[in-house]
Parts: sequence; structure tokens; C-alpha cells
Amino acid sequence: MINQKKTIPVCPDLSINIGTLRLKNPVLLASGTCGYGMELDGLLDLDKLGGIIIKGLSIRPRSGNPPPRLAETPCGLLNSIGLENIGIEVFIRDKLPCLRNIQTSLIVNILGNSVEEYFEMAKRLDREEGIEAIEVNISCPNVKAGGIAFGTDPEAAASVTHAVKKATGLPVIIKLTPNVTDITEVARKVASAGADAISLINTLLGMAIDIKFRRPALANVFGGLSGPAIKPIALRMVWQVVRAVDIPVIGIGGIITPDDALEFLMAGARAVQIGTATLIRPSTAEDLPAGIRDYMRANNIKNVENLRLPA
Amino acid sequence: MSRFDIPANIVEQTRLAHSIFLLTVNAPAIMDSANPGQFCMLEVQDDNSRDPLLRRPLSIYKTGSNGKISFLYKEVGKGTRLLSKRRPGEIIRVLGPLGQGFRLIHDCPSILVGGGLGVASLLLLAQRIKQPHRLIVLIGAKNASEIPTIEDFSRLTRYLHIITEDGSLGQRGVITELLNQTLQKITDMAQIYTCGPWSMMKAVYHMARKRNIPCQVSLEAAMACGTGLCLGCAVPKSNSQGFLHVCQEGPVFDADQVHWG
Repeated sequence: MINQKKTIPVCPDLSINIGTLRLKNPVLLASGTCGYGMELDGLLDLDKLGGIIIKGLSIRPRSGNPPPRLAETPCGLLNSIGLENIGIEVFIRDKLPCLRNIQTSLIVNILGNSVEEYFEMAKRLDREEGIEAIEVNISCPNVKAGGIAFGTDPEAAASVTHAVKKATGLPVIIKLTPNVTDITEVARKVASAGADAISLINTLLGMAIDIKFRRPALANVFGGLSGPAIKPIALRMVWQVVRAVDIPVIGIGGIITPDDALEFLMAGARAVQIGTATLIRPSTAEDLPAGIRDYMRANNIKNVENLRLPA
Repeated sequence: MSRFDIPANIVEQTRLAHSIFLLTVNAPAIMDSANPGQFCMLEVQDDNSRDPLLRRPLSIYKTGSNGKISFLYKEVGKGTRLLSKRRPGEIIRVLGPLGQGFRLIHDCPSILVGGGLGVASLLLLAQRIKQPHRLIVLIGAKNASEIPTIEDFSRLTRYLHIITEDGSLGQRGVITELLNQTLQKITDMAQIYTCGPWSMMKAVYHMARKRNIPCQVSLEAAMACGTGLCLGCAVPKSNSQGFLHVCQEGPVFDADQVHWG
């Protein structure tokens, strides 16, 4: 008699932890590509996602950079929005009440011109109900002061991390820029400064020239490149950072399909963020949790973390 | 605000002139809630292509019976070239209707001023004007081949005036001359609605302002999302206090709101 092996179907568990934050699945909407959430009303079921990361907020409203702010490149998008936002107070007053009703984790992205501003904003958000984590933008390539200035200097990145951690008990995610020589150096610094997680990558600095009008395509000359064009670079950097720090890493960069997301999870990311893809098709992220689950079920993988490849 | 992102069946793709096309798709949900001046974002290629990455924004030109909507567009680059290759029977993803369209002001003469392909956002408006005897349509272009859909307008009003720079259709000259002639005949309050090249709309606005006639403009901008997510489609405000966003607050604005430069 042949001894037949019993196959017990796995029921994959998509939930993950980022510090004390528990997400029902590893798919998040990336800051700057999902507005303040409500813009997506009727086009995407937010409740199906692990979380949403609100557009970067500053202490006072910012009007952003002059147009043109966008340039399309092969498989990519250059932008120089310049962190246009309504400011933290207007957000709390006008947007947050509606966002409290969504059945997904709400993460707020902040950006400052000084360590003090980051501290003040984190403290302000800490008092508000409904916010589950803070993502700290030290990586925007499109503004002169603040933003990337903190992300390219490991010491400054650590100072911001320190300040924000001191200001809030919420989990703190530091969003890194790829526009550095060695991203693991900044990653290690923010990890040892107490960050609960790291997200990467923000956009890659790039440019395009309009040869008809003989001028840079963006009014700001340089902009941040996103979209599928940057995925291999993002994946490589996620792989490196995952192996350099002990805190969870959230992968970002050109993800459109479940397969893309799986690549990042295999590189060791605990979760992924969907950015430019939402601009092209608002419902993109909605299909990813199911796609990831299908793969895990077919391959007998029980937890998201078990997707990670060795070494 | 009902918006839909749906796979729509292409029912017609017609080349009307050298680089001008009329694309008709079956999209009943979008048709039902479309207002004059609104637009859609169209995926120019099928699902797996990433180049070009972005959808293309096109004004809703016409809504037909049984759920059809049409877009009048010009081939200007890679995206619209690929779009023009799509054939009836194929499926195209359409997101819409988007943005704030024209606010219809009744009980006064309506003057529609279209420059070239700017007419693409004016037809639906002309159809919805309740008093056709007070509808004046002025259309200007470089030459006749730029405006191949004149009959769509001539059906709606007796007061259709055309001007082309080379005189190949209607009067010879530029549209501001037509508008000037029209405004001289108008004694009471009127409303101007315009869409066309930036410089033309700027001139129209200045003429309107001189006579205290309210003017609504439909603007165009490079867009990524069309839904207010990216804030890419910024246009400076007239008071120099920040920016308007064409996709969400527009594409139609009171001309006074815009910094014309």
C-alpha cells in the first residue's frame, strides 16, 4: 500500500506588524499619490488595504512648485510638485474626521524645514485620535530646504528620527531617499536612532528636456522619477537595507502587479507601498492582497515574512 | 460626484482630418453623469504596457443615445498616436466623468468661443443651452482641416460664425475679430464660454473683462491622475496665492481666477 501524504491546505495570514502597528495586509498606499484619501472615493475600496499614507504635511500650508510639474518618461514619471499641501492644522480640522471612518490603518506623512518642525508636528499628531503611525519624509528631492537635506546626511537623519521618537509614542517610519551613495549607511543611523521601520525608496532625482522649446521639461529643472522604470533600483536598495538593519522595511518603487509586490516581499520587505500605479489606475492596490494570498496559498506559505529569501 | 473606471468597448474610431480623430466608446455609466466641460482619462494601450505610462485626458465631446460617448482629439505625440491605432471591438479603459465642467448660465445670450480643437469641450455645452435662439458659436482655426466637425454646431444654432487664418473656411482672420464684431452687437448681459489655445483664451478674457462680461475658460494641462491625487496639473492663481488644479477644481474656471501671465 502506498502511503499517501495528506495535504493540508494552508490558509495564508496576510497580517503583519510594523512596530506596535498591526496591518491586516502588507499593501499600503504611498504618500503623495493618494491625496488625503477622500479623492479616491468610489474608485478604490480603502478597506481592502493594509493602510493609507496621507500626502506629506508641513507645519504651514505650502503652495508647491510652479508648473510644469510633470514630465512623462519611458515607463516613468518625473514630478516636481514641491510638497504642496494644506498644512497639518487644516488636515486635522477638515480631513481627519472623515478618515477616522475608514477600516484601514491611517498613517500620516510629515515633512519639516528643521528638526524642531518635525518634533512639533509629531507631537501635534500624537494627540489626535485615529492616526496609527507617522511616516517621516526626509527624502523629497523637490524642495531646497528640508526634505532631502535630512535624508542625505546620516547624522541629520538620525537627529530627525530622535526628535520624532521623543515627540510621539506612535510607530515611526522613516522614508529614505535613494539619492545617496550608500543607502545602508543612512538606514543604519535611523535604525539606531530608534526608528520603528524604514520605507524606501522615494523618487530618484532626474530630468527631461523639451527639445521643441529648448528648455527643461520641468519648471524646477530636476524632479523625482517614479514608476516601473525605477523598480529594479528600488528592489536592490530594499534588499540591501533589509540585510543592514533589524527593523521592518517597507518597499516602494514601481509596483503595479501582485508579482511586483511579491518581488519586494521576497527581497525581505515587510510591506509594500503603491504609488504611481494609483495615479494610472486608482484601483490598482485593491487587487494586490488577493494576488499575494493566491501565491502564498499555491506555494504553501503561511506568513508574509516567510516569503523572504535567504541571504 | 459619480465617477467610474470602466473597460469600455470601442464602437468607432474615425480619422476626420490629417491628425484629428473621433473616438466613440460604449460607457453608459459615464454618459449618464457627464456634464459639459468634463473630461475622461483614457488608457491608450492595453493592460500590460507601461510605455506610455500615463493615461491621456480628453474632453467629452458628445454623448449619444444608448450609452455612447465620443472624444474628439488630435494626434500630438506618442500617447495619442497609439490611441488612434485602437480599433472598434477593442476594449479601452476609461475613467470619468472628471472635473468641474461649465456652469450653465441661462436667461442671457451664451457666446461660445472655440479655437481649433478647443471645440472638443464646447459641443455638449451648446447642446445643453436651453435657449438656442440666444446661442452664439464662434469658431476659429488656422485652416478648415483643423475644424472638421462644424456641422455638429451648425445643427444647433443659426448664429454660427467661423473664421480661419487662411480663409479656407468662413471669414479670413483671427477669432478675436469675430468676438469683437459679436460683442458690438450685444447690448444686454451675456456669458462667454471658451476653450482653445492659451493665448486665444487670454485675449478672449481680456475682451470680456473690458465689457464686464463673465467668462468661463476650459484649461488644459499635463496630468498624471485626473483625480486630484498628484497635484501635477497646477496653474497659477490670479492673486498669486498658490495654484489651481486643472483636474479637480477645473478644467473649467472663471477666467478671473487664472493668472494669465
